[in-house]
Amino acid sequence: MTRVRLALKQAPALRVDLRGVTPAALAGLAPAQIERLPVTHGTQALPLAEFFTVTCDGAPEPGGELVFEGDLSRFDRIGWQLAGGRIVVAGSAGDYVGACMSGGEVQVQGSAGLLAACEMAGGSLTIAGDVGDHAASSLPGSMDGMRGGTLVVRGRAGDRFADRMRRGSALVFGDVGDFLASRLVAGTIAIGGRAGAHVGYGMRRGSIVFAGSAPRVAATFVPALADAPVAWQLLARDLARHGGPFAGLPARRTVRHLGDLSADGRGELIIAM
Amino acid sequence: MWLLQWRAVAARRLFRIGIVNEAQIINGVVIDDTFAEAFPMKATRLIITAHNLTWARHAAASATGFATSVIACGCEAGIERELTPDETPDGRPGLAVLIFSMSGKELAKQVERRVGQCVLTCPTTAVFAGIKEGEAIALGKNLRFFGDGWQMSKVIAGVRYWRVPVMDGEFVAQETTAVTKAVGGGNLLMLATTTDTALNAAEAAVQAMKQLPNVVMPFPGGVVRSGSKVGSKYASLSASTNDAFCPGLYGLAAKSELTPDVRCVLEIVIDGLTEADVGAAMRVGMQACIAIGAAGGLRRISAGNYGGKLGPYHFHLHKLLGADGGTP
Repeated sequence: MTRVRLALKQAPALRVDLRGVTPAALAGLAPAQIERLPVTHGTQALPLAEFFTVTCDGAPEPGGELVFEGDLSRFDRIGWQLAGGRIVVAGSAGDYVGACMSGGEVQVQGSAGLLAACEMAGGSLTIAGDVGDHAASSLPGSMDGMRGGTLVVRGRAGDRFADRMRRGSALVFGDVGDFLASRLVAGTIAIGGRAGAHVGYGMRRGSIVFAGSAPRVAATFVPALADAPVAWQLLARDLARHGGPFAGLPARRTVRHLGDLSADGRGELIIAM
Repeated sequence: MWLLQWRAVAARRLFRIGIVNEAQIINGVVIDDTFAEAFPMKATRLIITAHNLTWARHAAASATGFATSVIACGCEAGIERELTPDETPDGRPGLAVLIFSMSGKELAKQVERRVGQCVLTCPTTAVFAGIKEGEAIALGKNLRFFGDGWQMSKVIAGVRYWRVPVMDGEFVAQETTAVTKAVGGGNLLMLATTTDTALNAAEAAVQAMKQLPNVVMPFPGGVVRSGSKVGSKYASLSASTNDAFCPGLYGLAAKSELTPDVRCVLEIVIDGLTEADVGAAMRVGMQACIAIGAAGGLRRISAGNYGGKLGPYHFHLHKLLGADGGTP
């Protein structure tokens, strides 16, 4: 796999939109051509070379690796609509990282801003640090949030995590903010730390696993009288491969609450004991 | 000594009269120079798990019941083997079953009916696909509607499962299972002096075959007594009793494949996922029979075919045993 390195020269004055800078877009380009690719800085279109030093291990290919080096907290939409290949951010990323991606892999070695993995439909996004609000949720004004793929946050997540999420798996090793999985349509969410207020507010279907402390369950949820040992083992074994707080899940018993009865009521909060 | 001499004479006689083209006698058992003729089929493997092995077995036995022959059952099926908890997707004990049919469409129909009536209904069970590669057919995909709207889907590691609420909790079924090409109709005929000795040989052969993966012997206990030939004097029947191998018709039927000392013939039919699997099962089955030998009352091992014109898979008994005569 060939690797293209984009080393940050200095932090930009304004936010930079990196949509379109993907392994597929760089395929077949020479380093000089990559340096001339336009990116939006505020309201201006500037060449990539304004911000990065470009080096290539070989001829860039669609399934290759793209490595951003430096603190990219002011760079948004890294991996936007990514369909294949691999992007590594050796530092932090801005807003919308991995948004609308349908395949491939994005790895952020620092933290990420708002709306990470929003409307993600496939592939995998791993964030070593924290993410801001509205991760795995929908773009502003859209009806559906994350709809496929796997999001792993090894730090903490902000409010409205997985709002309107429809499909896929989203894991947070640490704590999450308020309104976790609000208006959840379906999918699987696993939390390793504590959850804020209003867990599963208006959730219709889907599963939220609590491997850390038990959340405060709203009155619009009912306790499940029957165990679901088969589904739990299938789910727990898959989550366990991520390690951390999820490693021992298959051996733990569960308590389930079903709801939100104010919505469809077919979702479940699974509390690992 | 006189007995061994008599058997050698009998073998030479069989060779002369054309029943045995080239006699191969091992441990006093004549191995006919013939072949089993088998056919292409479609198959799938299901993994049935339950709270304990007893209930998994109840479900598997029920789901593979009345599945001896595609002629009237729609499929041929059997329990392949037991699975330990670390071999199943949900960590519970289970069983692997193989289901064979003549077409993917018929197989899909049989799988849905059998799982719906025999696994969904059985306490604590769950069902999963046991084959990953191949065309997908519905497993829990349509059975989910039993949930009357309360069913839930869960996609885990890219695989969709359906959770159907039932009175003991929930029934979990993988959405689809895969269909693979398979081989059906491998067979062995055991010709013995008494019912006891024929049963003894057949049971030993089935037991040996059950140790192998990817095969099932779909008849009761793995053994069939009603071997058939193509055609009948009755126009409405496409198959009828194999009179050439019926001891009761020796001397009556126009042609018999038997000698006077053979009083009981039993057959084992083998379905497998590949030609090699069926061949391997036939080989170990013959080895088990040979170990019983003429001293145990077994006279001959033969196989059924249709002249090689119907089925593309031919399992020659001598080739299966090889130059060493099938020494395990």
